[in-house]
Amino acid sequence: MRRLRLRYSAALVAALIGVAACGGGGGGAPAPDAAAAGPPQRGGELTVLEDVAFAGGWPTGLDPATSTTGGANVSQMSAIYGGLFRLAADDDGSNARVEPNQAESYELLDDGRTVQLKIRPGIAFSDGTPMDAEAVAFNFTRAVNSTCTCNPRWPLAENGITVVDPQTIRLTFTRPFAAVINSFPVSNTNWIVSPTALQQQGEEQFKITPVGAGPFTVVSNQLSSELVLERNPTYFKEGLPYLDKLTFQSIGGDQPAYQALLAGQAQAYEGLSTTPLLEAAQQQGRMTVTVQPPTSPYVIQLNTKDGPFVDPRAREAIYAATDFEAIAQGLFRGLYPVSQTFTGPGGLFHQEKVEGYQGHDVERAKQLVAELGGLTVNLGTLRAYVAQQVMTALQTQWQEAGITVTTETYELSTLVQQFNSNQWQAMLQTAGAWDPASGVGVAFRFSSTSPFSGVADPALDQMLNDAAATVDQAERARLYTEAGKYISDNAYAPFGLAFAAANLATEGVHGPGLTTKIPPIVVNAGILWDEVWRAAPQ
Amino acid sequence: MTVATRPGADADRAPGRLAALLASPGARLVGKRLLMAVPILLGVSVLTFWVLNLIPGNAAQQLLGPEATPEQVRTLEQQLGLDQPGYVRYLGWLGSAVTGDLGTSLVSGQPVTSQIGERLAVSGELVGLAFVVSLGLAIPVALLAAYKPGRMFDRVSMLVSITGLSVANYVLALLLVLLFAVELALFPAIGFVPLSESVAGNLHSMALPVAAIAFPLFCFYTRFLRGDLVDQLQGEDYVTTARAKGIGPGQVLLRHAFRNSSFGLITVVGLNLGTLIGGTVIVEQIFALPGIGQLMLQAINTRDFVVVQACVLVFAIVAVLANLLADLLYAVLDPRIRYGSR
Repeated sequence: MRRLRLRYSAALVAALIGVAACGGGGGGAPAPDAAAAGPPQRGGELTVLEDVAFAGGWPTGLDPATSTTGGANVSQMSAIYGGLFRLAADDDGSNARVEPNQAESYELLDDGRTVQLKIRPGIAFSDGTPMDAEAVAFNFTRAVNSTCTCNPRWPLAENGITVVDPQTIRLTFTRPFAAVINSFPVSNTNWIVSPTALQQQGEEQFKITPVGAGPFTVVSNQLSSELVLERNPTYFKEGLPYLDKLTFQSIGGDQPAYQALLAGQAQAYEGLSTTPLLEAAQQQGRMTVTVQPPTSPYVIQLNTKDGPFVDPRAREAIYAATDFEAIAQGLFRGLYPVSQTFTGPGGLFHQEKVEGYQGHDVERAKQLVAELGGLTVNLGTLRAYVAQQVMTALQTQWQEAGITVTTETYELSTLVQQFNSNQWQAMLQTAGAWDPASGVGVAFRFSSTSPFSGVADPALDQMLNDAAATVDQAERARLYTEAGKYISDNAYAPFGLAFAAANLATEGVHGPGLTTKIPPIVVNAGILWDEVWRAAPQ
Repeated sequence: MTVATRPGADADRAPGRLAALLASPGARLVGKRLLMAVPILLGVSVLTFWVLNLIPGNAAQQLLGPEATPEQVRTLEQQLGLDQPGYVRYLGWLGSAVTGDLGTSLVSGQPVTSQIGERLAVSGELVGLAFVVSLGLAIPVALLAAYKPGRMFDRVSMLVSITGLSVANYVLALLLVLLFAVELALFPAIGFVPLSESVAGNLHSMALPVAAIAFPLFCFYTRFLRGDLVDQLQGEDYVTTARAKGIGPGQVLLRHAFRNSSFGLITVVGLNLGTLIGGTVIVEQIFALPGIGQLMLQAINTRDFVVVQACVLVFAIVAVLANLLADLLYAVLDPRIRYGSR
């Protein structure tokens, strides 16, 4: 009965997607070419849709010191605050780099134990007060002292935040922390609030109507529903932003968002992950579909601390029973590349192959399962379209190898409980970030000290810590290659699809990260909102 | 002839009128039902609180996210008062709620009463318009279908009704957007224009959400009323008597059968009115309407129990009031019904 209902639902969704794909006609015209868009134009308004389940939810407000969803609300935050640093890339997503934005420059000193930031002179918050080193120090101190989990994970020395001169601030660490600059775009400390406005409004009001020095200022804010912004006339970049008004509108998922774009009620949507809709949008040809270069591959975390995966043979059986290439081709038509380690093609230190990686070999998997006298596995994942599709496919593949598999789909809270209680066996999760040492990086899934890791191996901890600390990029690459091989050799966790969500923009809308490629910092790409523009209607 | 009236006689009579009004059967009914509502609302709030406590995770965990250490979670639980025993939290909440203060959101730190107030207006308008539209269409269609059952109009209305009842409202909502927003560009697919901004703009923005809720209701009411009318017309003695008196079929239908059938319809509408305001969640999500359903869904996802509790309480109050209204309407429709008379 349940299967019948599932089939019915699947058919219904497919039918809707099919109907939606046909909506508005348009045929199979190619998506507009960003390069051929011509020079940017000033003016106009833009409504951006955000999925309420992720970027469209900002329940704790938009104060970087207290917002626990800052990682999901990168767009809203950057539009209001701008950011000390930003991740930029060439139009095709290559040559991605973190570059100073409101910061003018930085220097890593003392082998990465000290970082000195120079703030661009002449920047003012939209309330007219100066954004200088004092203001940045105030923000850093506030963030460090915040009880929010969004506070920075800096190994900060005592009194480690120092104002050197009106434009210079120094951070001193207890150990080398070379990844600090790359971590800024994924950290709430990247967004600097006006200390004066904060004091005048008080924290409760400030989270609703925050004041920064970014390209836009807040007009109105209904939490997790609608954020209306208007052009900041005192923005420090001359001629920017292009848009006069920018509205973030929360919406209940990919399907209604896609239809709202087709109906012309919004002009952009961030984070499309329903693959059939993505294909429909590509075929329909009335909007630009930008699939970002993926940075965080899926990984099947195996709990090596307890249960069946303490035995390396059980872990090897999972490696041998898993065929991610087949899943990538069969379910996603090759849209997402398969990775053998914790980096995706859009991320730093990506390596396509890991030497000696145990690939798909169903006979070997069967043999290992026989040796073990059978293998029963409970596989879980978070409730998300791609993850659930992959989990179902894995279940089928593993059963073919003689493994008994049960599956669970979790909400975030129940997933956390599973990890905290160590009552889990296998979890399909994403690992890594653009820089493996920043944000929810690789250590989150593989470090002994992380509650969300299935591995407790001091040798791996050392490799990952060294890689995060090293200033020399070539040495970092070598250490990450070594760590990837170590994970593979010990069969700690097979890696899979490197998935990244897509952005949709209607005709005439252009902008870096929206219609050009920028690797996702963690989940969504950091759209550079000050450079987004709309062509005037012909 | 002049009738002399003593100065101040009206004022003297006023307390007497008030006493008479309070002693009237209608007032007694209202008073009795409102008194009965107290244990109902208390029961609902206790049940909601208990169920919410059974849901895994809490606001502290949700607020802090997966990276939080158990110590951080414990600290925030203390700050939010989530470490206190359930009954202490409940009584604290209840103490404030009876004074009209529904507390402060655990997640946003904003007063819940004002959050609900803003959003209740949107959901209230959505549901109110949906009822007006669905009843406004269902009653004439059902009357016409029952007038000559089995004929073409009846068959077509039955087909439409069954189709409408078979389609989930989220599917209907998406199809409506596809047809009326994407293809025909007649109505907006998302967004809400407040009444204070523009009445026409407001109605324009509410058209598709109202249709998504109203259409299944229209189908249900049409089938329900048409069936009851046909039963009345075919099997009741009073109809035979009316016909024997020479009253025309139209008059029998309108003045006799419809009047009797409307009791059932009122009961159903009353029950729907109480539950539908909480059932607008999906439609509000699809059309990006800032209503109470959207607020409650977000609150459930973030385990913001204070907001969920307040939303459920509001739904319960609406349900109680809707049923009370239905009871009062019975008395209006049938003078023989005298609640509370001995």
